Amino acid sequence: MIKVRNLRYKYPNNREYTIKGIDFEIREGEIFGFLGPSAAGKSTTQKILIRLLKGYEGEIEYNGKSLLSYRDDFYEDIGVCFEMPISFSKLTAMENLEFFKKLYRRTVDVEPLLKRMGLWEDRDKKAGEYSKGMKIRLNFIRAMLNNPRVLFLDEPTNGLDPVNARIMKDMILEFKERGGTVFLTSHIMSDVDELCDRVAFIVDGLLREEDSPRNLKLKYGKRTVKVEYKENGNLVAREFGMAEIRTPAFFELLQSKEIETIHSGETTLEDIFIQVTGVALRG
Amino acid sequence: MDRLLVLVKGEFNRLNKYNLFTAHFVVLMVWVGLAWFFEAAELKAFVPFIFLMDATMMTILLVGATLFYEKQEHTINSIMVSPVTGDQYLLSKVVVNVLNSFVTVVFISAALYFMKGVVYNYFLLVPAVVVVAASHTIIGIWLSYHAKSFSSLLVNYIIYVFVFLLPTVLAMLGIIGEAAARFLIVLPPDTANILISAMVREVDPWRLVFGYAYLILLSVVLYRYIVRPWFDWYVMREVGV
Ligand SMILES: Nc1ncnc2c1ncn2[C@@H]1O[C@H](COP(=O)(O)OP(=O)(O)OP(=O)(O)O)[C@@H](O)[C@H]1O
Ligand SMILES: [Mg+2]
Repeated sequence: MIKVRNLRYKYPNNREYTIKGIDFEIREGEIFGFLGPSAAGKSTTQKILIRLLKGYEGEIEYNGKSLLSYRDDFYEDIGVCFEMPISFSKLTAMENLEFFKKLYRRTVDVEPLLKRMGLWEDRDKKAGEYSKGMKIRLNFIRAMLNNPRVLFLDEPTNGLDPVNARIMKDMILEFKERGGTVFLTSHIMSDVDELCDRVAFIVDGLLREEDSPRNLKLKYGKRTVKVEYKENGNLVAREFGMAEIRTPAFFELLQSKEIETIHSGETTLEDIFIQVTGVALRG
Repeated sequence: MDRLLVLVKGEFNRLNKYNLFTAHFVVLMVWVGLAWFFEAAELKAFVPFIFLMDATMMTILLVGATLFYEKQEHTINSIMVSPVTGDQYLLSKVVVNVLNSFVTVVFISAALYFMKGVVYNYFLLVPAVVVVAASHTIIGIWLSYHAKSFSSLLVNYIIYVFVFLLPTVLAMLGIIGEAAARFLIVLPPDTANILISAMVREVDPWRLVFGYAYLILLSVVLYRYIVRPWFDWYVMREVGV
């Protein structure tokens, strides 16, 4: 759906390139997670993909054609959530949505969205008087207004309470179920793990890894089992490689000792994040 | 075209919600209040100044204020990731300001007529105000590009006025000779003044023709070669979202 080849970008006032030559592909119908430490260039990449930042080097293809060849009807297709919620502060939530809705040809009914996001009761409140979480939810609804084919979400759940984050994640998953494609950045690794089909790590303008969370866990996880048990009143821990667990030594331990915990050594996305981005920083 | 209409309506709605209409209305009331103290005959000399200020200064301030709000609240980014084109966005600002100046014409003219029975050539006033407001919207957008905040827009405006009014003042003081002074028509505030003054006094037809052609051409050139090309840069600058 979106192919990026050797993308480089320098902000007009900067001397250094912020994006230093990256390649990746977002496939139709997937949720693609874009991860990386602060200031790595995630938001910049999103802003290039939505054509807000112009003058990039390299190639970006959208649906098989250069992004540059599209006219402004490209925007009929996409929905955008910026990192910071955006609205006309002196207009009510409903007035904001009504205004933006009229800019598109194809639109959806906002009532179910507002209800689902818990903003229906407050729809006539000024957006400037919304709490942070309310603004974030309104922002998400705005991105969905034109029934987009591709959603660009820059840290969408950042700043939401767990219940609303749950609802938003469900809506993102339902969007994918209906055939939508999502480009998502987030610092919340559990969200990424749950939502994303594939992720890419960007560090200082360069990509480090690109794979499914499951494959990354297999790659970075230690294929071990860690057993904690009591011996003479002390807590002892032992690690076995996956090959070792078929040996008698392992079974003997399980049978003879007072076992406290058993953990497989598969890592979390968080560990991978630290490993991938940390190594890069030292290297 | 539909989209331009949506943008214009949206802009009017926001001028209202952001109290810019109220601010404009207060200024108009001040003009009406001032007019109260003049005799009908004196008013005729004074009233072009009202329309001149409204179509130049008020236009620049209003367009600057809306651009400033949209930049500050980043809503310009949201608009630019919708199917709205840069041309539609900028053109909507021009249309809104032209309509606004037209409202001023109706409001002030009605007030002067009912208060003092003052009438003047409305058929020369309306096109002058339309062209002056349109060209000054474009000038206002251009000045906003070079302003980091609303107050620096004010400073830019003062510089603009100073630079362009100075030769006129010098001409009035006789420092610039008669022959050279004739060329002052190429300064936009001067051109605007000549076009609008035609509502109350005789103006050489050639000066009117030249004035209209000049302001229209200036607007087109400024738009085509400065305002439109730099718009993307203006949106990109400090896209802190
Ligand atoms: N408008 C701008 N002009 C100049 N430099 C910018 C601009 N916006 C961002 N940058 C720089 O580009 C780099 C990448 O910023 P970006 O916002 O893409 O980071 P990010 O990965 O989204 O970080 P975070 O996780 O903190 O949101 C930073 O060093 C930042 O200072
Ligand atoms: Mg960011």
